[in-house]
Amino acid sequence: MPKSRFAWQGPCARIVHKRRLIDRFLDPSETHLGWALVLPAIVLILIIVAYPVTNLIVNSFYDIRLSRGLPVRFIGLENYVAALNDPMFWRALKNTLVITLVTVPGALMVGLGLAMLANLPFKRRGLIRLALLLPWALPLAFVGLIFAWFFHSEYGIVNDFIRRIALLLPSLNLKPQVWFNSPSQTMVAICVATIWKTSSFMALIILAGLQTVPASLYEAAEVDGASKWTQFMEITLPLLVPSILVALIFRTLTAIQSFEIPFSMPGPGEELQTLAMYIQLNTVDYLDLGYGSALAVFMFALSMATTFVYLRYVRGEKA
Amino acid sequence: MAEVALRSVTKRYGAVEVIHGIDLDIRHGEFAVFVGPSGCGKSTLLRMIAGLEEITAGEIRIDGRIVNHLPPRDREIAMVFQDYALYPHKSVFDNLAFSLKLRKLPKEDIEERVRAAAGILKIEHLLDRKPRALSGGQRQRVAMGRAIVRQPKLFLFDEPLSNLDALLRSEMRAEIKKLHQRIGKTTIYVTHDQVEAMTLAERIVVLSGGNIMQVGTPDDIYNRPASKFVAGFTGSPPMNFLPARIAASPVALEILLGDGSARLAASLARAGAYAVFANRNVEFGIRPEDLAMRRVGANDVSLPAQVVVVEPLGAETLATLQCGAGEMICRLPPNEAPAAGENISIWVNMDKFHLFDSASGSVLRAN
Repeated sequence: MPKSRFAWQGPCARIVHKRRLIDRFLDPSETHLGWALVLPAIVLILIIVAYPVTNLIVNSFYDIRLSRGLPVRFIGLENYVAALNDPMFWRALKNTLVITLVTVPGALMVGLGLAMLANLPFKRRGLIRLALLLPWALPLAFVGLIFAWFFHSEYGIVNDFIRRIALLLPSLNLKPQVWFNSPSQTMVAICVATIWKTSSFMALIILAGLQTVPASLYEAAEVDGASKWTQFMEITLPLLVPSILVALIFRTLTAIQSFEIPFSMPGPGEELQTLAMYIQLNTVDYLDLGYGSALAVFMFALSMATTFVYLRYVRGEKA
Repeated sequence: MAEVALRSVTKRYGAVEVIHGIDLDIRHGEFAVFVGPSGCGKSTLLRMIAGLEEITAGEIRIDGRIVNHLPPRDREIAMVFQDYALYPHKSVFDNLAFSLKLRKLPKEDIEERVRAAAGILKIEHLLDRKPRALSGGQRQRVAMGRAIVRQPKLFLFDEPLSNLDALLRSEMRAEIKKLHQRIGKTTIYVTHDQVEAMTLAERIVVLSGGNIMQVGTPDDIYNRPASKFVAGFTGSPPMNFLPARIAASPVALEILLGDGSARLAASLARAGAYAVFANRNVEFGIRPEDLAMRRVGANDVSLPAQVVVVEPLGAETLATLQCGAGEMICRLPPNEAPAAGENISIWVNMDKFHLFDSASGSVLRAN
């Protein structure tokens, strides 16, 4: 058995050597240790984020139509040019933007109201907070199906409500609607379902923000002479900005990716396709992975741009 | 300035009564301090005066006007909170100006008042900063500035120094006292720190368990405590208590400590006063500074004791003594400090002792 190279130097030399090995990690600006600690996270991000995104971008430069079989062909920016000349793409983008622009502020308003309600000091508010979780916990496609029934022309609760109002107030001249006949009315149903589903998520984030506002600020404002409305505008809202921004970023990103609710609702078909639905159509139904990837890159760019705008605003606020 | 009157003020949370019918008058321009241990109801009482808590029963008057149901903004008060309650998103200027803007004062008046308050508190250079960029002491000043600009009739302070370190606390204590001397407005100050209470107050209100235990000047509270609770709450270290019995004698009065093995002869002047309490079980109370290593006054009585612990504090030394009936702490000049374990004779100033009823804790005072 070979002798240890420290055998002739004694146990002290062994300890000194070990110490040096540790110091090599720790002392030179602790860089090595720092890298060693973040390495697992870097590897994870490379596997689950960097690789798929890179692959997506690479695929978007190829003609990969699986219906035609292999080999694939490099076509440069042709998929992007095709998308920019594709009226279906522009319609899907428009629908996506409409859903985003309507449902994000809508969910924010409803979520803010729900959060304020859940933050009121009343007995059993734990139940209300639990109830807030329910819409969030439901699967999106399930919500789409529920609201398809709500807006059903014959049996739907919405038309039932309209009929009752019409009976009570005939002067309003309200009539039940065939909601899924026209694109604009179907869009109303999609937006209502989306707001109902997503406002609870907004409420939860805003509620967490509300709970960080010290009660003494309201008491100080009360002593200062602020009404409840002034307290809301001058204290609650400004202090909620960070929470609202986080909620807005998440909500906007998911709105840009809207798929399940519009997909699971009946309606005028392609008329109300969102960007995510159009990507699914091309990649899954038409097996055109190259074109689908180019469309997905557009969606990715849209998400990144939105996030960038929000983050710039946050940085501006902090400064 | 304002006069505050509390009449049978009661506060109940459900079935639990936390303030039990308090009667109190605070005079024009007075600096009153509510002091007591945690949970004694001092902050609740202050918040009821502020209007931040509803009162269950009784009456609160500020300047003769019943304010029971008035919201805080209509009570002409200003309050400094324990956590300062500065609006974190507003600059110091805006924090100070907030109440004035709500009152829709002209811009020039707001500017003038804010600058004047900032001048008093020496925070002019901080007006553009946000609270997060301020130190604890600076935040404290801003909180006081916010109270000053309102020019209220009544200042309320809810443990405003408890978040500061010891050095800053004593500095700010002096600032608050100076401020009161300068502005002269009626002030109610809540603290659990008896040093703060003693140094700041013109009158101290000692509370315990939702009741007032004693109202008096710092001198009254320290030298003429109404009960064992008050005597034990004030002073650092607090008063020493030993179980005792008053023995009747034809010529003088003796206080038998503990099992009776130690006897203290009361001075003749006080002997007559306490004679009516002969043969009663009492608590003998003596402050640490009324014990000495050598005879100081004619009425001092010596007691054999063993030194248990010696704590040098620089300007003085505290010695814990075992004297048969129990332990006592005495405050000594550093050059007279004994060594731990030493057997000594400790001299008790018999002009300064207090006697409390063993059962009720109330002071025994003869007429």
